[in-house]
Amino acid sequence: MRGLRHFIWTALAATGLMLSASQSFAQKPDVGDEPGLVADDAYELDPEFRKQMVLYRTTEPPGTIIIQTSERHLYLIQGNGRAIRYGIGVGRDGFQWQGLLNITRKAEWPDWTPPPEMIQRQPYLPRFMAGGPGNPLGARALYLGTTVYRIHGTNRPDTIGTAISSGCFRLVNADVADLYDRVPVGTKVIVRQKPQL
Amino acid sequence: MRTFRTGLLIGLAVAVAVAAAAITYERYDTKTLKRTVKRDAVLCGVNTGLPGFSNPDDKGNWSGFDVDFCRAVAAAIFNDPSKVKFLPLDANQRFKELQNRKVDILSRNSTWSMSRETGYELYFPAVSYYDGEGFMVNSSRKSESALDLDGAKVCVQGETTTQLNLADYFKANNMKYDEMKFGKLEDVIKAYDEGKCDVLTADVSQLYAIRLRLTKPKDSTILPDVISKEPLAPVVRQRDDEWMMIVKWTLYAMINAEELGVTSQNIDEALKSKKPDVMRLVGTEGTYGEELGLTKDWAARIIRHVGNYGEVYERNVGARSKLGIPRGLNQLWNAGGIQYAPPIR
Repeated sequence: MRGLRHFIWTALAATGLMLSASQSFAQKPDVGDEPGLVADDAYELDPEFRKQMVLYRTTEPPGTIIIQTSERHLYLIQGNGRAIRYGIGVGRDGFQWQGLLNITRKAEWPDWTPPPEMIQRQPYLPRFMAGGPGNPLGARALYLGTTVYRIHGTNRPDTIGTAISSGCFRLVNADVADLYDRVPVGTKVIVRQKPQL
Repeated sequence: MRTFRTGLLIGLAVAVAVAAAAITYERYDTKTLKRTVKRDAVLCGVNTGLPGFSNPDDKGNWSGFDVDFCRAVAAAIFNDPSKVKFLPLDANQRFKELQNRKVDILSRNSTWSMSRETGYELYFPAVSYYDGEGFMVNSSRKSESALDLDGAKVCVQGETTTQLNLADYFKANNMKYDEMKFGKLEDVIKAYDEGKCDVLTADVSQLYAIRLRLTKPKDSTILPDVISKEPLAPVVRQRDDEWMMIVKWTLYAMINAEELGVTSQNIDEALKSKKPDVMRLVGTEGTYGEELGLTKDWAARIIRHVGNYGEVYERNVGARSKLGIPRGLNQLWNAGGIQYAPPIR
């Protein structure tokens, strides 16, 4: 069963890869979306982006998520002055935002339907892609409010620490799965930007 | 006639003595800035060698967090961060050398405490680095917090505040531990490295330096908890308010710059900013620099040549440096830490 599923994923991924490769001649996908690419699980993150317990003082209650985009870190507040910190990839210039939202939905191996504005910018993207290892949303997705933004996994672990996305926050699959199990729907998410001059 | 001449002489002598005393007082007690400008260099007392904080290379060029702070003061005064003379001082002589005016600033990982200010007639203008005692554990223990250390075997240097803090912390949290104490830090490290204990306690900045020297650095984790207060600060002499203010606001300018998003990379852009708090910082509004005895662009000079607080932290001791110390307490107050500077206004 497991082997069969794996085979299907791989086949899907391979098809996706060919599709995206053929389309990318027209416009190179330079924004970190590579549908079809299967994540390299052995990829080693820089120490500062590995999941770790850190000191973090805040008046926000335990269970809150705080995203510091300029640091490329996501904090899950633990109380007692501590937080679990994950490395993330964030929105590129012009695709950064800040605010307060709640997690409204959670999904495992989510499907991907790039929103129309994204298709317009990156016409080489597929219109729909079923969930799986080649899917740029990766292993899990946490949907933020009613926006098009999510906290999700990735098939490009090498983009953690960069500002490359269309406004979503990406974690490596192992991290997003870990976070997914720790936070319920309704979790408060605070997104902070660096100040403007 | 004779008495008149004697009187005149005595009067003259008194006048000369008073004038000399006044000059000496002026020269030695109140005008560090004047003397620094005349000398064309800041005299900066630093550690003889401490990774990340102050280290000379083989050509005698100094670098590090404490070193950069003196460069920032030089940048504010001279618009040139190289106008600093570094004097390596050991722990025993440091405060005496400052008192004896061998240095203008001591920037040497010195803990600010009450008795040091009162006893040596010194002044610690502001905290540059919040250090404190922490724990390094073998990663196999899977500890996520110091509260998971019940029953651990702890290596510690004996007859130190570190040892006392350790005892207090475990007692306060109803935990037991097995203490292995050593006279020298070297022996503490060796014992831990050989697996004779599963926890080593020392100040957090030290733990990161120690970890680099272990046989297998990756097998050790430094816990996020900080159990004591070791506020490190630059030090100046008392009774020179002008100088003390320059040192204090140099640090606060760097912290404010980080909070406002002004960096060595975007300082030119910041000079064109129309945001009031950025304008006050970089000197396009107000006369804050002049009121310090410096120029309008004093803070812009610091940021351009040395960087904001976060840049200096990251470059010398932060995640991408060799030491790799997370910001922790030294993160800004609005981003998880306690670094907080009064506003420039």
